Parts: sequence; structure tokens; C-alpha cells
Amino acid sequence: MGTDEVVNAVRSSRGVNKVVALEQLGELVPSGSLIGLGGAWLSNHPMAAMRQLLRDGVGDLHLAETMGSMDIDMMVGAGLVSKVTFSMVSLEAFGLPPHFRRAVQGGAIEITELSGLALNTAFEAASRNIPFLPMASLGLSEFPARQPEWYAKIDDPFTGIDLLAIKALVPDVAILHVRRASPAGDCQYDGPMAIDPEMSRSAKRVVVTCEEIVSADVIQACPQMTKIPGFLVDAVIEAPFGAHPLTHVPLYGLDAWELRDYAASAADPEAWPTYLNRLRTESEDQYRERVLPPDRRRVIRNLARAGKTLSGVGQ
Amino acid sequence: MNYRIDELMICRIAREVDASGVTVLGSFTPLAYASYMLAKLTHAPDAPLIGYNAIGMSPIELSLTSAEAAAYRGAAAHWTFIENTQSVHLGGRGLVECVSPAQMDGTGAFNTSVIGPYDHPKVRLPGGTGSPEVVQNYEKIIAYFGSHSTRGLVDKVDFATGGRFPVSPEPRRRRNLLVGPVWIITPLAVLIKDTDEAGFRIESLHPGVELETVVSNTGFPLTAPDEIPETTVPTETQLQLLREQIDPFGTSQFDFLDARARAEYIDDIMGREWARAAAMPDG
Repeated sequence: MGTDEVVNAVRSSRGVNKVVALEQLGELVPSGSLIGLGGAWLSNHPMAAMRQLLRDGVGDLHLAETMGSMDIDMMVGAGLVSKVTFSMVSLEAFGLPPHFRRAVQGGAIEITELSGLALNTAFEAASRNIPFLPMASLGLSEFPARQPEWYAKIDDPFTGIDLLAIKALVPDVAILHVRRASPAGDCQYDGPMAIDPEMSRSAKRVVVTCEEIVSADVIQACPQMTKIPGFLVDAVIEAPFGAHPLTHVPLYGLDAWELRDYAASAADPEAWPTYLNRLRTESEDQYRERVLPPDRRRVIRNLARAGKTLSGVGQ
Repeated sequence: MNYRIDELMICRIAREVDASGVTVLGSFTPLAYASYMLAKLTHAPDAPLIGYNAIGMSPIELSLTSAEAAAYRGAAAHWTFIENTQSVHLGGRGLVECVSPAQMDGTGAFNTSVIGPYDHPKVRLPGGTGSPEVVQNYEKIIAYFGSHSTRGLVDKVDFATGGRFPVSPEPRRRRNLLVGPVWIITPLAVLIKDTDEAGFRIESLHPGVELETVVSNTGFPLTAPDEIPETTVPTETQLQLLREQIDPFGTSQFDFLDARARAEYIDDIMGREWARAAAMPDG
């Protein structure tokens, strides 16, 4: 079946039940897709979904997000990415992202680097179904001159002051990881949500993974936590520890130990094939069993509570 | 009390934070994070602070694994990055944000994108996230460097990820932009640029630093007043807060280490963070 048939089959056969297995993700995301990725920095990228696309070998992908990290780097390392649209790709304390850096320096992938708020504005324009949105000009930045396909100088029709038009960026599919979702696709966050809610409105199709699928009653008990309503969502996948080894606050903090192992393997051409092959050949259940033994699981949960808030002198 | 140079830089940056605008934690700038927490714990308890998606966050202890969760727990509101950046960054409410670029030149242009030609870079750097918009729109901009050399402070950046223009007050007012300077803070000195007509001038030298050392390690021309002030050194209270409460793991030293020392340092922090979390009762 093609992607549209799968989505339609899910809708028609199950009514408002959009739940699919993680193993079906490859049917929802064809090779060559432009994917908008949720999360930001080392927080809440849809890592279980990335691992599944990696198992399925879904390739020729165009990945787009404002603040990427291990998600983009791992997919580039697996050879599944042909293009990245971004404003940052970083492993922060764990260094430059090895695969992304090598691929860009070697010309192996195409990149479009935009200033961060322009890229966010591009997603916003898409969500409003208009071709561009205006933004204030960017001083000495070379991005407008270098990326004329994305930035155009325009004049404010009212005052004549010069502005930038930022072209809409419409992902074929947004893949986002949320705290909990109902079978109808209503998604709640308890922690950082990056630009996931806005991203969900910009894409042609939205696939969410969630820590836990809950009934509609649970959603309705606290609707103020619902940041993405179900009508925007096409498929719901349960994936516990779905952002691991990155954070999903308040459930778990950063698995810096797995991230450090990743960074070391990614930087070492001898070690990387072993790391990659293990991810490719194990199921998501097997991944959790291997990478998250009880002591590690306990520690990363506690890390989400370990950091202190402070009160100061005379407060 | 003896202070480290990163602590002196933290205290200098902290001075710029107050309740007149919003201060925001930018991408992976641990030294700046420490400054903002210090300001909140001392002279500026009411300064509105944003980190991650935590709006009006409490000051937090810095760490590799747990800072995000702490920020979220102590927040007054949770917004998406777009709600935050459209209303604070682009909305003209940003007071202070720091950038930590690979290169900066005398025009104030900075580079977080590439070393070498853009299309065939020698080193592809992480990129700038929202720093082009931040630097253009905020009231006060601070670029900090872990070392002061002609490798970072260059004649011309390899690529201008961003840079404030105009800088002078009048043209900024005409464009409805907040008025304020661009600073560069390094282990040697504080440099400032506050008009388009002139380049950077030396605002202060750190204790024991000679003018000639700063000039010869800077890749663009500098001016200096006849009497150059000395940068204020940290107080005992500031040092105690930094070491005992704000940054007990020492994340602010990160920018001052070479790659090998950095790896050992991270191992050490991770060991300490693991031990603390492992010893916690289950929640």
C-alpha cells in the first residue's frame, strides 16, 4: 500500500483510533520525504522514530528543524539523509556532531542553513497556508544574500521600511515525541515542547510517538496540557523512552552516558559500523533492554528531579 | 579569595542583567548561564529569565544532565520557542543574551557557521540558531571568548552568521530597535562598540593585563581611553554563590579547556552527577 492508503485505512477501519505500531512507521514516511523534526538542542527529539526509520532503511531524507543534535547526526551517519535544513546541529558539551560535520565538509549532503527565527517563521508561514511571512531585517548576517530562495527583501507597504520575507517551509511529515496521546491523537506535554505545536500545524501529515497512550478521559481531565489537538494528527505510536538518550522532562533527564558513547562511536570510523549495525538489527524493545538496564533507568529518571532551583542572598 | 578568570567574566556579564527587560539562555553558553543565575541571586532577583521553554524561571543549579528539568520545575509559565522568540526576541523585549562565536571582527560580525570558505569549509561549526536575530534585536549583546587571540578576534570573519547593524542609537531608534552596545569579553579584557562610526574600544583590562598584550592578540584595530579602568574582580559572596550553589560541577570552565582536557572534565562531571542521582530515593 502507498502512504495515503495506509493513512486512509487507519482512519476508516478504526474511526478515530489512529494508533499504529512503531514498526509501521516506514509505511507512513516514504523515502525522499521532507521531515520536520520535533524537539530542540538535547531535548525531546523523536529518537525512537529515528531508530525505526534507520531499521527500515528509509532514505534520501530531507530533515528540517531549527535546533538539531543527535537525531540529525545519527541519520546522516546511517547514510539516510540527502539534505538538511537547519539553524544549528550540535552535541553541545559532547562536541561537534561528527557525521554531520564530515558530510558537510565532504560535500556528501546538501544543506540549507538559515537563521533560527527565520526558520521558525518559515514553519509559521506554512501553518497559516500563506507563501511567506515578514520579519525584521538581519543586520550584517550573510544568510539573506546567500539564501535568496528563503529570504527576500521587501518594503513595508505602510512605512516603506525594509523587511525580509521568509518563504514558507511545508514538511511532508512532522515527527514529534509527546508525553501522552489519546488514540484520536490529542497530544499533551508536561515538559519542553520546542516548537512542536507550531510544527504540527505546518506539515502535510503529523506522526507522533508518545511515552504512553491514554484514554480520552485522561486528556479531558486536563485539556490545558493538550498542545496538539487530534485533528492535526494522522498516526499515534506508543514508544516509551522515545526521546532517549535525549531528555523528556519531567520523566527523564539526559542519558549523558549513552550520548557520550554515541559521540565516541560516531567520531571513530572503526567503531561506527558496529554501533550502527546493532541499532539496525535490534527491535525497540531490545534497544531499551540493552541500553537501559535498571540502574541506568533509575538514574536518568532521578536526574529529572536532581537539579536544584536556588534562592539567593537575602531572599 | 582567589578567583578564576571565567569567574571574573561571569561577574562582569552579570552586571548587565536587571529587571528592565528579558534575559534568555541562548544555545549552550554555560558561562553566560552562570552570569544570569548570579544576577538573579544577588542584585536582580526580579529580572525575568527564560531558559528552554521555561518562562520566568527561578535561578537553577547548572549541570550537564538536569538543568533543563530544574528550569522547567521552577517556571512561571511554559511557552514554545516560537511564542518566546516572537514576543521576546522579535518583539523588542530582549535585554541580554550572550553568544560564544568562533570568530568576531571589528565590525561586530560574528561567525558560528564555518571555518574556511562557506561552500567548502575546513570545519563545519554548529551554526547560530537564533543568534542573528538576537544580536540584531536585543538591547545588550555580549560575545564571550574562552581565549583572546587573533584566531578568534579576526580582521574579517570567514562568514557572517550575524552582526548588529546599525549600532548607533539614532538609526536604531528610527528602526524601532532597542538601543545598546555590543561587548566582547575575553580572559584579557572587555571591549565595547557603541556606534557605527567607530570600532571597538577597550572598556577595561583585567587585573595584571597589559594594553600591548590585548592589542597584539586582537586581529582588528582597537582604541583605548588615556586612563583604562581595571575590570572589577569578583567578591567573596559572588564566588561562594558560584562555587557552592550555581555551578558546583564547574560547567562554566568548559569554554576554557582544550579537547582532551574537556573530555576528562566531562567524565568527571558525569561521575559526580551519576553518584548524586543514584543516591536519591526513588520519586
